Amino acid sequence: MKTKEWLIEKTLLLMALSAVAMLALIAIFVFIEGTPIMAREGLGHFLLGRKWAPTKGSFGIFPMIVGSVWVTIGALVIAGPLGLACAVFLVEIAPRKVADIVRPAIQLLAGIPSVVYGFVGIVVLVPLIREHLGGPGLSVLAASIILGVMVLPTVISISQDALEAVPRTYKEGALALGCTHWQAITRVILPAARPGITVAIVLGLGRAIGETMAVIMVVGNAVKVPAGLLDPARTLTSNIALEMAYAGGDHREALFATGVVLFMFIMLLNSLAALRFGRRRPSP
Amino acid sequence: MAGSTSIQPIAELLADRYMAQHAGPAVEVQGGGSSAGIRAALSGAAEIGMSSRQLKPEETGLKEYLMARDAIALIVHPGNPVRSLTKEQVRGIFSGRVQRWEAVGGRSGAITFITREEGSGTRGAFEELVMGKETEIAPDGIVQDSTGAARAIVATDPDAIAYISLGMVTPEVAAIALDGVQPTHESATDGTYALTRPFLLLTKGEPTPKARAFLDFVVTPESQATIAEEGYIPVKPAGRGSGA
Amino acid sequence: MRPDPALARDQDLDSPRRDQDLAVPNGGAMAEHKAEMAREPKVRVEGLSVFYGGVQALKSVDLPVHANEILGITGPSGSGKTTLLRMVNRLNDRVRACRHEGRVYLDGREIYDPQEDVILLRRRVGMVFALPTPLPKSIFENVVYAPRIAGMRDRRKLEERAERALRGAILWDEVKDRLDDSALALSGGQQQRLCIARTLAQEPEVVMLDEPCSGLDPISTLKIEQALDSLKATYTIVLVSHNVQQAARATDRTAFLLMGELVEWRPTAEMFTNPRDPRTADFLEGRFG
Repeated sequence: MKTKEWLIEKTLLLMALSAVAMLALIAIFVFIEGTPIMAREGLGHFLLGRKWAPTKGSFGIFPMIVGSVWVTIGALVIAGPLGLACAVFLVEIAPRKVADIVRPAIQLLAGIPSVVYGFVGIVVLVPLIREHLGGPGLSVLAASIILGVMVLPTVISISQDALEAVPRTYKEGALALGCTHWQAITRVILPAARPGITVAIVLGLGRAIGETMAVIMVVGNAVKVPAGLLDPARTLTSNIALEMAYAGGDHREALFATGVVLFMFIMLLNSLAALRFGRRRPSP
Repeated sequence: MAGSTSIQPIAELLADRYMAQHAGPAVEVQGGGSSAGIRAALSGAAEIGMSSRQLKPEETGLKEYLMARDAIALIVHPGNPVRSLTKEQVRGIFSGRVQRWEAVGGRSGAITFITREEGSGTRGAFEELVMGKETEIAPDGIVQDSTGAARAIVATDPDAIAYISLGMVTPEVAAIALDGVQPTHESATDGTYALTRPFLLLTKGEPTPKARAFLDFVVTPESQATIAEEGYIPVKPAGRGSGA
Repeated sequence: MRPDPALARDQDLDSPRRDQDLAVPNGGAMAEHKAEMAREPKVRVEGLSVFYGGVQALKSVDLPVHANEILGITGPSGSGKTTLLRMVNRLNDRVRACRHEGRVYLDGREIYDPQEDVILLRRRVGMVFALPTPLPKSIFENVVYAPRIAGMRDRRKLEERAERALRGAILWDEVKDRLDDSALALSGGQQQRLCIARTLAQEPEVVMLDEPCSGLDPISTLKIEQALDSLKATYTIVLVSHNVQQAARATDRTAFLLMGELVEWRPTAEMFTNPRDPRTADFLEGRFG
């Protein structure tokens, strides 16, 4: 029996380690491929340079960094309030029958391939923006909306968990004190669920910043710092995915270096989320 | 075989026909782009490489077989009154110097030009044939990574212009004349239309018997007829190309 | 000695009538009882049946609660005590699959009337839960929560209200120097008294306590019972407890619930010395529950 236990424990350990090892290998590979060109070009030049002409020896990814930040923030401005409202509705307000229909529908939303989102974006959303708001349509706004819809399931399901984890006594205590249902939600339940909601948003952020396919299709991919929501832009991910297939030499290295920057962004976000999780108070 | 995404569709079609008629090993077609195709042929990863551009001087050691020619068409929205541009005007538009349609004889409006990503064979051909060595495609143009996406945008945006393979032009968009020459099979074949490029199949040294059989199949009259049907310009049955 | 469920159901049919029958033979108590029946009780529950889905939690309960008394409701777990409380401040309104028959009156007005304002009702009928439910805020903010919700802004008035409520719950001396500390840092007994204070601060007319001492040590329990005794003058108090001793110590009248059925309700002393129903006797003697 002892040996069997030992064997099971060690096997599990090995599996866990191999997952970590794979992650480490990928990270190391990306760093080895990507850092030399940063060193050669100078980190400042690489990160803050505005000219990207990789086949002609200019490697500045500043426009892509700005593009990623804009698009991601835009996605969150859309998905944050909408997702939170939706979660509150599902947990606190919706009759069970409605919730039973909406919940799986939202899960389904998460299962739609991103290329489908992109396609809908290019055929429906982009012309709408062009006709009603101006500009080429392919824009930060289009990408933000599409991404916002794509990260909605993440934001909704994690906020939902956070709201459901709020002790029922908080809500009933507030109701018994004469709060309206709405006051109980805004003054007691939401503040109590705030750490979980923050995690939902940060994870949504991570998903948004990493999404590629749909973004390529609707963001325009122009290498310039966008001056407004209606301008096209290029994100870090779309830069890599667009050009990797053909790239060689310095160009390829520069794309890996783009990957390094992206990697750092996502690491930062996830550790932020982890910190938030860690700080979460056990309920009394 | 692997390489240019421009050649990929027609190569897949021909491979299917070939496999239907010939028993034996399957022909597998992959994309990746012209540069990847050249690398794949050199490294032996693919028995046949596909390139939609001429080889660069440093890319040696490959035998070239011309399977077809492709013409690049400039396309605009069908509602755009502009039906002809000079090469100079096109260069102006894609370099960002010309930004308004009224500057090239159209109605008032900002030009949205759509280009392909760095490294794309179509972009390489366009840069080579239109932009020349001195002018660059402006970095702030819209970039799309497929012909389909570029065409979809032009089909819905009255102010957009893009370049795609002549064979990919559909009625949703209008192909316009360059220097007064409308891009057609005829004008591309006889050389009066300037924006044409070769579709090259590449082998490292002498082709393997299996590769040889397919290369022969590609230049049969039936295959060349298929190529013409698909919108590309066939090479003469006799013109199998020459060693590099 | 568990009662036969089939038997319980049969008895349920005529139980309201039997309550009154039972009261008749007792001479001295009867006159008092009749006098009570004459004036309108603060809260009156009439023929109240409650269902959660297919499960019946209360079976046609009739029960008056008089002003300025402490009514104990006792009975084994799952007998419907908490449900009865939750019906009186309409906390079950938003519980899916909960429905009821019968009526509940507060000062003679039916609280489930569509015209009635549920928020106003809950301000008049305060409730303290079995487990302390402080909100994750400071002690002060917990106590003034209800007045703030009701729109009170004046800091001085809020402070006055908080002090009065904390004194009422016999907690003032322990927390007066650290009102801004987190309520979650208090001990269990203090938290429960804080919850009582919080309910008092809303200045209700009825205070309902649902097993307020279930998780507490004897000393904390004693403090809460003392507090209740002093509050009786101002409020009508309903105390749910499955602890028979507590019911005996702290209440004026006791109602005994069993499996959703109100078996009997009478002055506490009388019920404990001379229970009418054999099931009451069994429970009081600790034979089940």
